[in-house]
Amino acid sequence: MSGLKRWQKDSAWAALALLLLLALPLLDPSRVVVDFIIRLCAVGLLATSLNMLVGYGGMVSFGHAMFFGSGAYAFSLMLQKTAVSVPVALLTAVVFCGLLAAVIGAICVRLKGIYFSFLTLAFQMLLHSIIITWTGLTGGDQGLTGGIPRPVFIGIDLSKTQHVYMFSCVLAVVCLLVMRLLMQSPFGYTLRMLRDNEDRAAFLGINAWRVRLYAFILAGMFAGVGGVIMALFVSGAFPDFSYWTMSGEAVFMIMMGGIHVFTGPVLGAALLQIFNDTITRNTQYHGLALGLVILLFTLGFQRGITDVFKGWRKWLPAANKGGH
Amino acid sequence: MDLNALFECLGSMSCIVTQTSTGLIVGALLFLVAAGLTLIFGVLGVINFAHGSFYMLGAYVALSAYRITDNYALAAVAAGLGVGLFALVFERFFMRRVYKSDVLLQLLVCYAFILILDDVVKIVWGAEFQSMGMPKAFQQAPLFIGGGVVPVFYVYLMAAAGLIAGLLWFILTRTRAGKIIRAAAQNPGMTSALGLNTRLIYASVFAFGGLLAGLAGGLAAPVRSMSPGMGFSILIESFIVTVIGGMGSVSGALLGALLIGLIRSFGSIGFPLFVEGIMFLAMGLILVYKPSGLMGKGQS
Amino acid sequence: MLSIDKLYKSFGGVSAISDVSMEFPEGSLSAVIGPNGAGKTTFFNLISGGLQPDSGEILLDGENMVGLSRNAIVHKGIGRAFQVAKLFKSLTVEESLRAALQSAFGHSAQMHGSFPLPATRDRAHEVMEQLGLQNKADTVSGNLSHGDQKLLDMALALVMQPKVLLLDEPVAGMGPDERSQMMDTVQQLWRKGGLTIVLIEHDMDIVFRVAQQIHVLSYGKLLAQGNAEEIRANPRVIEAYLGHAQENAGE
Repeated sequence: MSGLKRWQKDSAWAALALLLLLALPLLDPSRVVVDFIIRLCAVGLLATSLNMLVGYGGMVSFGHAMFFGSGAYAFSLMLQKTAVSVPVALLTAVVFCGLLAAVIGAICVRLKGIYFSFLTLAFQMLLHSIIITWTGLTGGDQGLTGGIPRPVFIGIDLSKTQHVYMFSCVLAVVCLLVMRLLMQSPFGYTLRMLRDNEDRAAFLGINAWRVRLYAFILAGMFAGVGGVIMALFVSGAFPDFSYWTMSGEAVFMIMMGGIHVFTGPVLGAALLQIFNDTITRNTQYHGLALGLVILLFTLGFQRGITDVFKGWRKWLPAANKGGH
Repeated sequence: MDLNALFECLGSMSCIVTQTSTGLIVGALLFLVAAGLTLIFGVLGVINFAHGSFYMLGAYVALSAYRITDNYALAAVAAGLGVGLFALVFERFFMRRVYKSDVLLQLLVCYAFILILDDVVKIVWGAEFQSMGMPKAFQQAPLFIGGGVVPVFYVYLMAAAGLIAGLLWFILTRTRAGKIIRAAAQNPGMTSALGLNTRLIYASVFAFGGLLAGLAGGLAAPVRSMSPGMGFSILIESFIVTVIGGMGSVSGALLGALLIGLIRSFGSIGFPLFVEGIMFLAMGLILVYKPSGLMGKGQS
Repeated sequence: MLSIDKLYKSFGGVSAISDVSMEFPEGSLSAVIGPNGAGKTTFFNLISGGLQPDSGEILLDGENMVGLSRNAIVHKGIGRAFQVAKLFKSLTVEESLRAALQSAFGHSAQMHGSFPLPATRDRAHEVMEQLGLQNKADTVSGNLSHGDQKLLDMALALVMQPKVLLLDEPVAGMGPDERSQMMDTVQQLWRKGGLTIVLIEHDMDIVFRVAQQIHVLSYGKLLAQGNAEEIRANPRVIEAYLGHAQENAGE
């Protein structure tokens, strides 16, 4: 493997992962596993795209779920209200998220630290309010119910779970690979420079606002894809997808899995899901248990699992404590 | 959205009086919570995301105290003191460890406590909605001011809040400790620079903030039903208030709280589902155009 | 070559720099000294674009730098190393330099291709060797010793091929051995030619030993300028330093 370039290695790993995922239902066809992985694809994209901002960019967004929700709604609405094919609906959803991120990002990215965080939260909750109020379009706080039409395309019938499973896996792995390549590109390193020392980066001629905006838009688009997968999974879109608790869970996923390793967030997402499922099966005091686990990680480990294994120090990207 | 209803209300004195009094109550309670939050942020540089849970605890402690003593005033005081004590412990054993850490860690520690406390409340008091009920002293006929209906309790509540605000003003402007805290709230790093006992100041400010939030929870108990998870919305609103008023500014918190209170009460007539949206819009506008808030740094 | 003419800067009514004019001939090695608070770092900030002067001119090869942004000034040829090294702590030495170069080549927002770009290799290695950092190429910047961090800081400025290099207290925080090593490095750099160096320094031994021209600032004003002998003998300079008796102009 040593003669290969990094992008070739990354692609090889991605292909391998995809093969394993596609083969899995043949080994263990249980619905539980299949559902788990589809859901993991959705939230894994949410968490990884968020980490583009938090881990690589030092931009702590509290409102990232707004793109997850937007993707879900845009996709579902396109299919419910128009006669487009699934790929077109997917594309529309992604473009919509990109445009939304461009507008919101242009405003937010100018701010730093905690102000950036709060403003992203404000936008997310504003979007949430719009979703809840505009009942005609979005179904209000009931969400978009009635299911999503799934016209067959190139032989793929998304009304069958196996097809949804394969579609989600391919989509997720491809997106993760693209995000990985982006973070290993010159652009990705410029992001890191801005995270580590914005001042110096300015002296080197880097336009911070522009680079951060690009990162924000990209992250938004990938979160949107996650939303699309979620919409397929639950057959609809719900206001909770754009609520602060969704963003909060995403933050916890990346904290738990590790910010400094690319696959950390996905691992965190998987762990959180396993944990949630286990707890809800064994006790009604889900909050108590989850809270204690979070304390263990934050006060005990003070970093995510993959960070521990890679020997990262307790240093986290300086996201301007308290805005001071 | 029912903007017609809103305009009708604005045209009617009785409606204006009713809604304004509701708005002032909401604002007053929100002020107590936000004041603590903004002081904690200003002095410690930390955002206490668990602040809403302090409010919730206050409500429940007051509930139990009232059930035992049948005395509302005592219950409210117990709420304040109890939560203040809890805040002290919380700061000492948990928050203190993450002062120097990233905001994310602080956020998560607080989030963990929110989850834990919600379940603790569920275990101790039960998951159903509970209510203190109106104490006998306030079970009188409402006042009619300008044709509007104003429950007697509201008047007492406003008076109590006013008294506390006045006390707060007195402490912050006339006592030495208060002046230090006020200065520190607007000038981060000042306490250590001046060689003051930072730990003591941090602990006191945190405990004081908790006390105010708990007090607010207790005072509100007669008119708000309580349930585990009630802390979320008050937390979000007090954030909005703090940002709008200016982080670190108590007078800003007052201004912001009254504003939000009125938006809430009038908004619930015209656009009940979108009230939160409007509040976040206001917060967003402030962040973009005047991030330091309406009364931010440079003014007291 | 770098010509400063009647520079003024005040902050809210307090004058920080007033009526300062200096000439830095091409290829020279000069020092700017003065007691603490004299305005030396403010002066550097003004020249490198970190601050805009209230009035006055900063001419690099005849072209006025006033009003240009930090980026633009860097591209014109004024490079700066900082008193406290400003590094990209999570990147290795080599990564930091190559990342700086990719920005110089205009590729900072390039999303295709893999970092580091091949075009950035040669210059980065060249600078690492010039400063003796080639053995630490793969060390994470945050893990470098203090002296190496200062070297990397200088490297980040050098890698942009500046015409003028501003060094803000290059030996601050170093013991005597490290100091002479650092100054040897600086002199080597200078002797290779093509670089105009301006130092801010408190260590008088170093200043008198290496600087061709010395400019003395006090309370934001130019007190004296000349070579080492002239400055050493200048009574007003001595008085300015004695007046700040707490200031250790050496150690």
